[in-house]
Amino acid sequence: MSSITLTSSDGVDISVERTTAERSVLIKNMLEDLGDSGEAIPIPNVNEAVLKKVIEWCEHHKHDPPSASDDDDNRRKTTDIDEWDQKFMQVDQEMLFEIILAANYLDIKALLDVGCKTVANMIKGKSPEEIRKTFNIQNDFTSEEEDQIRRENEWAEDR
Amino acid sequence: MSKRCRDHCDSDSPQKRTRTRDDIGPVDRLSRLSNELLLHILSFLPVSSLNVCQRLSHRFHALGGDSEIWKRQYYSQWVRPRARRLASSRRTTLPAKADYSPKVATWFDHGHLAQEGNWKQQYRLRHNWSKGLCRVTEVEFPQPPCPPTLIRFCAGVVFTADSAHGLRAWTTRDPACCLAKIPLSAPLEPSPTIPTALAVSQIQDKIEISVGLENGHFSLFVLNLQTSRLDFQSSHVGCSDASITAMALSWPYLMVVSQHKDLTLYNLRPGSHRAEETEAPEPCQVASLKADNIVAPMTLSLRVSSFEIVATIVYSFFHIGCGWSLGIQELRLGKDGQQLDSRLATTVDSQYGLRPLQSRKWRHSAAECNQPPIDPGAPSIIHQQPPTSMSYSHPYLLTSHADNTLTMYLVVSTSERLFVQGGRRLWGHTSSVSAVQVTNRGKAVSVSSRGDEIRIWELELAISSLSSRKFFEENGVQLNAGNKDGESEPEPGLGTIHQHLGSVKVEPQESTPIGFDEERVLLLREKTGTQLLECYDFT
Repeated sequence: MSSITLTSSDGVDISVERTTAERSVLIKNMLEDLGDSGEAIPIPNVNEAVLKKVIEWCEHHKHDPPSASDDDDNRRKTTDIDEWDQKFMQVDQEMLFEIILAANYLDIKALLDVGCKTVANMIKGKSPEEIRKTFNIQNDFTSEEEDQIRRENEWAEDR
Repeated sequence: MSKRCRDHCDSDSPQKRTRTRDDIGPVDRLSRLSNELLLHILSFLPVSSLNVCQRLSHRFHALGGDSEIWKRQYYSQWVRPRARRLASSRRTTLPAKADYSPKVATWFDHGHLAQEGNWKQQYRLRHNWSKGLCRVTEVEFPQPPCPPTLIRFCAGVVFTADSAHGLRAWTTRDPACCLAKIPLSAPLEPSPTIPTALAVSQIQDKIEISVGLENGHFSLFVLNLQTSRLDFQSSHVGCSDASITAMALSWPYLMVVSQHKDLTLYNLRPGSHRAEETEAPEPCQVASLKADNIVAPMTLSLRVSSFEIVATIVYSFFHIGCGWSLGIQELRLGKDGQQLDSRLATTVDSQYGLRPLQSRKWRHSAAECNQPPIDPGAPSIIHQQPPTSMSYSHPYLLTSHADNTLTMYLVVSTSERLFVQGGRRLWGHTSSVSAVQVTNRGKAVSVSSRGDEIRIWELELAISSLSSRKFFEENGVQLNAGNKDGESEPEPGLGTIHQHLGSVKVEPQESTPIGFDEERVLLLREKTGTQLLECYDFT
């Protein structure tokens, strides 16, 4: 059971089991390219707190079967998130988006999906005003534009 | 993949650095994500939320309208469920040679959609059809035509023919203005002519129109879709002096049935291998047949493949056991007019339930012999009156009846045999159904003579559920006119029509007053002396 060292953007070394780290396609490819030199792998885009969080997720999911991913349809149909992941994602918005960015950078598809689903669940069922408030989105429409778009999109709101 | 990711994030990172430090005041973290990531998030949202997201900001408006997302929604909502149904019905009825479903190829023919490019629009269109949501516009003919008026609908153009105003073309985008008009008879013929049959066929950017007249002549016209020019091409004498009662056109072949029950097939361009002739050649008579007992209503269909012409005549007749039934005669002709085959099939067996699709499944799944044998003595579909109208677009055959129902059959035509399958009544109308029209994509529209009912049917659903035990619950979708500009009157259009619909004039022969395409349903109504063209727009 070999372990490797990752260096976060703020210069902290974290030791991880290799199988855990290989949930990240980026790290997996790097390890394959570099061979097992034992050197620390720099992760320049992810700080310590986020990297630890991501490793926590990878640790819990390290025995997951390789994603039965390509049934795109089924995957997207549901925004159900398993219980552990739900608890895991109970973080502030800053951390949530950091995790999404890190998962995207490190190429951890399943974690990226969990993150995006979490955000999608925050959007679902809300009015535009509520969504803007949740995420502090600037409304850059004029009121006429807003009216027009509202009318354009009325058709599907009855579901 | 990993390389791309790294590059992508590297370019993002300066922005990110600053972000983590400026936690003063509320930060819009969501909008700081790349488009790629936002689209990923949006792809998990249902349609209603996508529409809400489009109202957030300019950026979300663009992202929420992303064609790929809508394409995926379109497929998961409309295409995949159907594919699954199809697959499961295939499984259960696999060994049965007699069972039949229309070709998958035609069902999955979404090439025409992909070209349109806007999947959101397509989704919305489909959604509106399925919910019966549409906008009604009524257009009164500026100069009321003299009945009988014939109407045909092709490629977004409505053609009407009547004796007073000749042939007129209207565009559905703006039904108030007449695109083009032209007198029915040849320029030098002075006598007023009464049109009795109308057929249209689109070839590339032209629509060929043929009009059959009461005096047995027929005229050919062509409409250029780009220039909106309607031109007279030629006029010909039909095979007899009797009026033409029905026509079917599938360029360059024209099938004509006259009052004397003579059926004639013409090739309108005998020298078709020669390119672009300026003068119209005399149509060449390919074949002529005489029928004995065709009773109205009847309907014609013409299918042209690379090596043969399939001409189909569907007619109704009275059968002692099960009342009014349909007969289908299919003539297969070579391009030179040589008759290859002539076959006849009737719906009698289907009406007796001898070949119902569901029985097979029942025997397979339920206990083997508990199912009581079908009693051949009692037909399951009996019609005491002749159908009020019929429409055939291979493989769908629909008839409408005065008893508030429609009956649907599936016509199976293989190289070995021709038969009718899966007779099924469609319920839903609350008054006598006066007209029905079906397309080969399996969408049908029916109108009832009284009340305000127009119903839309997705026959694919009906057929796939034929083979399962689940009862076909859909009673068709009733149209709701969703016009915004009539809030005092909850259902404009439909409400007002209600009182007058009793007078909808349904010509017994050939002139079904309905036409529809992917986006619209058109209906010709007569209302206290004036004629109205109603356009139900689903976009």
